[in-house]
Amino acid sequence: MKLEQDKYASLDSPLHRWEPRCKFVGLVALIFAFSFVRELSMLPAMMTVTAAIYAISRLPVSFWLTRLRYPSFFLLVVVLLLPFLSGQTVILSLGPLGLRQEGLISVMLITVRFLCILTVGLVLFGTAPFLTTIKAMRALGLPGILTDMALLAFRYLNELGDDLHRMETSMRLRGFRQHRLSRRGLGVLAWLGGSILVRSYERSEWVYRAMIVRGYGNAPPPRDEFQVSAGDVVALVVTFLVAIGFVAGDILI
Amino acid sequence: MHIPDGILPATVCAAGYAAAAPVTWYSVRRINQRENPRADIPKASLLTAAFFVVSWIHIPLPPTSVHLVLNGLLGVVLGYFAFPAILIGLFFQAVMFQHGGLTTLGVNAIIMGLPALVSYYIFRMRNILEKKSQLITGVFGFVAGFAAIGISVALFLVILLTNIPAELDVATERTAIYTLALAHLPLMVIEGVFTGLVAVFLQRVRPQLLDSI
Repeated sequence: MKLEQDKYASLDSPLHRWEPRCKFVGLVALIFAFSFVRELSMLPAMMTVTAAIYAISRLPVSFWLTRLRYPSFFLLVVVLLLPFLSGQTVILSLGPLGLRQEGLISVMLITVRFLCILTVGLVLFGTAPFLTTIKAMRALGLPGILTDMALLAFRYLNELGDDLHRMETSMRLRGFRQHRLSRRGLGVLAWLGGSILVRSYERSEWVYRAMIVRGYGNAPPPRDEFQVSAGDVVALVVTFLVAIGFVAGDILI
Repeated sequence: MHIPDGILPATVCAAGYAAAAPVTWYSVRRINQRENPRADIPKASLLTAAFFVVSWIHIPLPPTSVHLVLNGLLGVVLGYFAFPAILIGLFFQAVMFQHGGLTTLGVNAIIMGLPALVSYYIFRMRNILEKKSQLITGVFGFVAGFAAIGISVALFLVILLTNIPAELDVATERTAIYTLALAHLPLMVIEGVFTGLVAVFLQRVRPQLLDSI
């Protein structure tokens, strides 16, 4: 499985150029403001703001569509079940099932909130290299242990994924097929998983020695990694105001 | 078993972060109390990546196949690193695969991470016994894996069904929780067996992995 997180991180757009710390704080504030919305009348504004942000980011629509593949199953379950289970006001009877008004409203709220948060999240992490965003999170005060672990884990995900792919291919070449659950089959898969753990553990010893040689733990990280311009601050303030507008609008309506 | 964005009210998402923060702080504090915490970070990081990769293995469960959660095994192998590892794993899943969510990261970390710590404590009870045969390791591994996924399922269902914006009556809600929990029983058994088998494998091949972190 190949990770394509940074596929469009090198495009040129105002969101790609936005300073990573300001972008992180601004868009995360907007994401939480979206999760606060409970009024149907706020949804068109949410969709408009989200669409505008995505258009400004110049990320292709195909990128958005491919990212919907994994979560769409859960969304489908919610859309199919909730209108029949939630609420008292039946607006349409389909045999023993009743389509309920409250359930439909909930589905609309959940679906739009979900899609808007997902889209803004895609812009946040798709318009800069993933490592840059993690460094921005470290600069914003995320504990060193978490950022070091995240950076190292991300660095080795692809390689360990390739290891798994190679080992699965080897198993198939040696005749391993599993179409039903059996104790032996589960045992073989457990050994496969255990082997990946042992390989990563052994590799980590080499990695640690290499990191020590390069001064890991001795030098503090550079502090002036990011430069904030007036435009970055203006964009942050505007995003904050939009986020506050959604929260205030939802309370006042 | 990850709650996506948009489902839970903002207050519950905030409560999730508020609950995950002290657990993260406690885990980091325990890690920093170790003799050389920096030496363990590469091991914990690569093992975090390895767990992420191992969870891609398909386990056939006709007519479909399942991916394992492995939070019990994480607790067994990573100890106090398990909670930060799960936090990072969930963050990766939310960002790379849109599985789970950014606003629900705290809630999901509690659902997956707290049971991992429980598994760590369960598996550590093995140290009370003088003789650590493969059978004993397998049994403790099974219990740790089974308990972790069991607690995760219970937390997931309770949080989801009590916060979903549906006016379900108490009886329906309780029946739904029991039914869905029962439906997860095969997964709990598979996770338990898999955790036990991996623990035995590690004891035979690299026993340091069960005691090093």
